Amino acid sequence: MSDVAMKQVFSQRRRRKYRNWLVSYAMVMPAIFFLILFTLYPMANLIQISLFRGSAANAYKSYIGLKNYEQLLFVRTDFWNSLKQTGIYTAVIVLLVLGLSVVFAVWMQDNRKLNSIAQTVFFTPHLVASISCAFIFQWLLSKESSGLFNTVLRAFGLPSWNWLGETSTAMGCIIFMNTWKSIGYYALIILSSLKSIPLEIYEAARLDSSTKMRTFWKITLPMLSPQLFMLLITITTGSFKVFDSVRIMTEGGPGNSTQMLCLYIYEYAFKRNNSLGMASAAGVLLMVVLLLITLLDFGSLEKKVHYQ
Amino acid sequence: MAEIEFKKVTKAFGSNKVIEDLDLTIQDGKFTVLVGASGCGKTTLLRMIAGIGPATSGQVLMDGKDITDLDPAKRDIAMVFQNYAIYPTMSVKENIEFGLKNRKVPKEEREKLIKEYAEVVGLSAYLDRKPGTLSGGQRQRIALARAMVKRPKVFLMDEPLSNLDAKLRVAMRTELIEMHNRMQTTFIYVTHDQVEAMAMADVIVLMDKGKIMQEASPEVIYRDPNNVYTAQFIGTPPMNVIALDDDKVGFRPEKIVLADRKLDNMPFAREGVVLTREMLGSETQYKVQMGADTIMVKTPNDSYKYEDKVVMNVAAEDLYFFDAAGERIRRGDVSNYDEYVRRVGG
Repeated sequence: MSDVAMKQVFSQRRRRKYRNWLVSYAMVMPAIFFLILFTLYPMANLIQISLFRGSAANAYKSYIGLKNYEQLLFVRTDFWNSLKQTGIYTAVIVLLVLGLSVVFAVWMQDNRKLNSIAQTVFFTPHLVASISCAFIFQWLLSKESSGLFNTVLRAFGLPSWNWLGETSTAMGCIIFMNTWKSIGYYALIILSSLKSIPLEIYEAARLDSSTKMRTFWKITLPMLSPQLFMLLITITTGSFKVFDSVRIMTEGGPGNSTQMLCLYIYEYAFKRNNSLGMASAAGVLLMVVLLLITLLDFGSLEKKVHYQ
Repeated sequence: MAEIEFKKVTKAFGSNKVIEDLDLTIQDGKFTVLVGASGCGKTTLLRMIAGIGPATSGQVLMDGKDITDLDPAKRDIAMVFQNYAIYPTMSVKENIEFGLKNRKVPKEEREKLIKEYAEVVGLSAYLDRKPGTLSGGQRQRIALARAMVKRPKVFLMDEPLSNLDAKLRVAMRTELIEMHNRMQTTFIYVTHDQVEAMAMADVIVLMDKGKIMQEASPEVIYRDPNNVYTAQFIGTPPMNVIALDDDKVGFRPEKIVLADRKLDNMPFAREGVVLTREMLGSETQYKVQMGADTIMVKTPNDSYKYEDKVVMNVAAEDLYFFDAAGERIRRGDVSNYDEYVRRVGG
């Protein structure tokens, strides 16, 4: 081959390589664009605002360094309170939702007509906007005589109770509502992986003299572990960011008993003067907390998860 | 060691009766193979013995004791499944140990048994591995070890070799025969592969559509089939069966003598044209067009070529006669048996 021809081949090859490179980047560009626009930029912005004192109208009034963090962590007690409330809420929700989802999934496992009805019934709340659910529950739990819960209490001759207005029950009510709303969705996810377990494995276990309980703990649960681990992480992060139901049902009250982190951030950002920076700082801290919890989950549990 | 007996067993899935009023005795200590095309009910029978697919009606007896509705855990049987059904989340050791733990076998004995049987199946080096990291053959060995370690009275196997590649399948076949010779327990083995059945069985139970077509040793099944179904199920290639007036006559491909002319003392001698020729080494397989029928021939004679004219000769003792319904007509069954032989000559 002549020199000229060689050069031509090489330049052709280079051009093709360049074109491949261009095409592959063009393919991922939309995703990268939206990631930058809606995740990375707001994140950087959030961190930046957290270093200023300002309001929604003028975020960068004055630079105050880490003062906002100092306020949140060492001066005020309300941030720690809402972190605690959110932590309690998340812990209970994770245990309740995961536990009950598994129970319901196991219950709905057999192909019976009743079970397909049950699936629909459990799943329906997931289709309703959580704001609507919150309103419905606010009405159900109303302290007025129209509230269903109190109507039932009265029917049994018991005094009515201000469900959302008492410190002892407000948190419980929010947990109840959100558990009710999300359980069908998670149960469905677990159900689908339950059904993917080959029947022969259960038959082998029966021949191996395994009791139903032992089969569940030693075979079913380990086989569900990838889904359970995934749900653990999504439910934890999701619950830490709970907002709409609390905003509608209790607005953080009574007192500070249901003051979740996102509600706290919302109030500091939009309801108080010149505290947008503080809200942003709380947002950054929320992000850090979630990151730590997720890392902790991976570090402590991932080894126990059985991937096929 | 145990004998299994089915008494008037029926199994229906919905309104579809897979097995109806079946009687069968599976002998103690024998290697019995249930063979038949898919859907013939062989696996259904196996699952009845295991207790994981109970009979709709009738009785299953084990050593004379009714086990029809007995819990599988209490049956003293072990089963190897087609897709192994090993516990994927457990290590090889835990897989073998699971049943022992459930039956509260003490730890030292468990360790001893696991060591012993891991050695038997050649998995000693892999005890701490997860099944997912092992090959198909090794997984099948886990399933075997898990079944053997229970030291069951009856050993059930549901197409255990069908997921293995051809070479491994043949190797495992001899291993299973050795295993049976060593353990001397009742083996009940389900397969759709007649070669596997012929190779391994002491007794073959050939089934079709929930009915037993024949129950006999491989030698008898091959040499003395009860009906056309059995004759054509067993053998590679299967027996040639052609019409003989209202009846049928059959002859095995390997019993045909090819020649250029009709040979002496051969009542069956018909002319045909070679359609295909497959040289298999020690033997050659021909497909021969004979009138409207195609006949398979398997013979050491490799001298014929495509489109050659041949005469197929079959001796009288190698001819099998069947009535219109496909049932065998033996010499003792009819007074005019020689008449049938004469009719073959045309």
